Amino acid sequence: MQNLANIRKSKNGKQKVIDIVAKNFLFFLAILSSSFIFIVVGVIIVKGITPFISDNNGLGSVNFYKFITGNTWLTGEAFNSNLYSVGFIILSTLFIAFLSLLISFPIGVLTALFIAKIAPKKLAESLRTVTELLASIPSIIYGLFGAGLVLKFVYNLSALIGYQSKGGNSILASVIVLAIMTIPTITSISEVAIRSVDKEIIHGSLALGATPMQTNFKVVLAAAKSGIFTSAILGIGRVLGEATAVSLVAGGRRSGLSFNLLDTTSTLTTTMLEGMKETVGLDYDIRFSVGIILMIVILLTNLILNTIKKKVGHVHVK
Amino acid sequence: MSNRNVKEKTYLGMTYGAAFVSLAVLIMIIGYVFINGYKLLNFDLITHNYTAVTYISDLDEGFVLNNYETQRDFDEDTYYSTKWGLALTDDTDLQGKNVVVVTYVHPDSPLNNLHNKGVGQSIIELKIDYEIIRIAFDGAASALSSRGASLMITTLDNNDDIRELEFATTGGGIRGSIITTLYLIVLTLIFALPIGVGAAIYLNEYAKNNKFNRMLRNFIETLTGVPSIIYGLMGLAIFVPLTIGLTKATTGNIISGAMTLAVILLPVVIRTTEESLKVVPDDYRYASLALGASKTQTVFKVILPNAFSGILTATLLAIGRIIGESAALVFAIGTSIKDDVYLTDRSTSLAVHIWSMMTDEPANFELSSTIALIILMIVLVLNISIKLISKRFMRKYGVLT
Repeated sequence: MQNLANIRKSKNGKQKVIDIVAKNFLFFLAILSSSFIFIVVGVIIVKGITPFISDNNGLGSVNFYKFITGNTWLTGEAFNSNLYSVGFIILSTLFIAFLSLLISFPIGVLTALFIAKIAPKKLAESLRTVTELLASIPSIIYGLFGAGLVLKFVYNLSALIGYQSKGGNSILASVIVLAIMTIPTITSISEVAIRSVDKEIIHGSLALGATPMQTNFKVVLAAAKSGIFTSAILGIGRVLGEATAVSLVAGGRRSGLSFNLLDTTSTLTTTMLEGMKETVGLDYDIRFSVGIILMIVILLTNLILNTIKKKVGHVHVK
Repeated sequence: MSNRNVKEKTYLGMTYGAAFVSLAVLIMIIGYVFINGYKLLNFDLITHNYTAVTYISDLDEGFVLNNYETQRDFDEDTYYSTKWGLALTDDTDLQGKNVVVVTYVHPDSPLNNLHNKGVGQSIIELKIDYEIIRIAFDGAASALSSRGASLMITTLDNNDDIRELEFATTGGGIRGSIITTLYLIVLTLIFALPIGVGAAIYLNEYAKNNKFNRMLRNFIETLTGVPSIIYGLMGLAIFVPLTIGLTKATTGNIISGAMTLAVILLPVVIRTTEESLKVVPDDYRYASLALGASKTQTVFKVILPNAFSGILTATLLAIGRIIGESAALVFAIGTSIKDDVYLTDRSTSLAVHIWSMMTDEPANFELSSTIALIILMIVLVLNISIKLISKRFMRKYGVLT
């Protein structure tokens, strides 16, 4: 008996040690994974604040108020200045995001409605695949498509109305490319929301004498409001954060706010991508400051949209 | 009533129209990339270097001029010199200038054994598709590529020796970027899979449903919403200095790029793995524990193998993201296109290769579209495989999709 107890003790003991070690190791991996968000945010903030508080090798510290309100972006080392302003870039970024959502949101939601409620099963299945494929196409390919086809289209369009655009690089081209990119995001999430609308609501509407389309547009969409709003939030997140595709069609604007659709433009992300050659100095550090602004813009838009969503989307959708 | 009918039709038409837009966009993108890209798509593209190298060479001592007869038929704008065993054709390059391209070199021709006058390897050979820039002779005018292939062949036939031969190897290949992309895939998976799968196991198998663990989950979920360009900045600020300190790298490099990609992919890997762990029935866990297996044995020998297809899906999703990612890599590695790829040096993945060429002046549309076509094909194949795998997995456990 004594022997048996010993064996069990030693065997169990060994297994227990392994169990504890394994658990703690896996716990460490989970902590590591979740800590990256702090590393990302922390690094960007620490690096991004540097230009505002340090002397920048004699250029003088960047004035934060001018940085977020000003109207000119000069690359500091080249112009030997500390004049960097993203005020006009913030506004044009928001303008572009708003316009592209204005195009992609109705198309995305209507496509979702079509897939979920109207299309025959086979057609719905293939359109779902189309949406998935569109979502999986890398952004650089959208950029290439934009640079090859959308730019030509915009250039010809502006030539038609007698406006000399810079090779088509414009707000309009950026808006089109970004709208195309966000359609699949909006479609797939709205579709899930629309599909999970309670059948009883639909039957109730039909029983009251509403036509199928009245039901779809006035009842189903209203019931799926909350989910549809979520899709818009995710869509705008993608628009604001998209970098390489826009950088190929935006044209790069250094100063002056312009809401002219055929004028060149800059977004926060394209500004960060410009002139990637420097690895030291103010031109390098200032990208992190733009990064902070980008994160703040995304966070604020999300917060505002979420507040609106809570106010309007009170129909419960699972 | 008819008014109502019209309204009904309008609404219906609107949804049809919207759905058609999605389809049209997909067709346009694939069509555009295919039409512009397929011309350059061939095997040479994958094996060739990107940058063309120019060599100045002369003939090796003891060469023999002979009658190099060939059975091959040449087009009428191809000129063959039997004396030297060399066939040349006129062509125009991207700038519209006339170039002379080698179309055939006889296996015994003296031009197979040239002596390099510049730096680099000392013995070089003339290969098909190389461009001849200039041939200089002793006591005769040089034959230049701008004068055409026909004159060059005639001059060659009139001379018995070459003083100097200047030629350029073929460029425009994407071998370096393909190798870089493969390196990135392997390295990123090495970094991301163990951490991601481990974290997923903890969250699904060990973590109690309490505030702290929900917080961990939330933090990981938040990572998905961060734009990739921000990850790029983080890679630039942390991983680039880290790799410079630990390895012999001096700039952004493939390792720092892979680390950055690994962070981007963590939430995807964790979520996909967790979902597949959730589907494994609890009976398996109880059965294993009841048979006397320890918790660790149960997790690693029973549950993990059953969640294998989920991990496979995560891997495929990750590969798709790695191939398509561009913004983060522009920061974390750099944008200089390389032919000799080292882990500790800059290079471009296929996607960054496109970006790099498109931001150049003038933009190289043809090659960009060809690379885009390659990326598109890989991504589509990956997507279909993921669909098939998850369908099989779901059927195995009787979960309705």
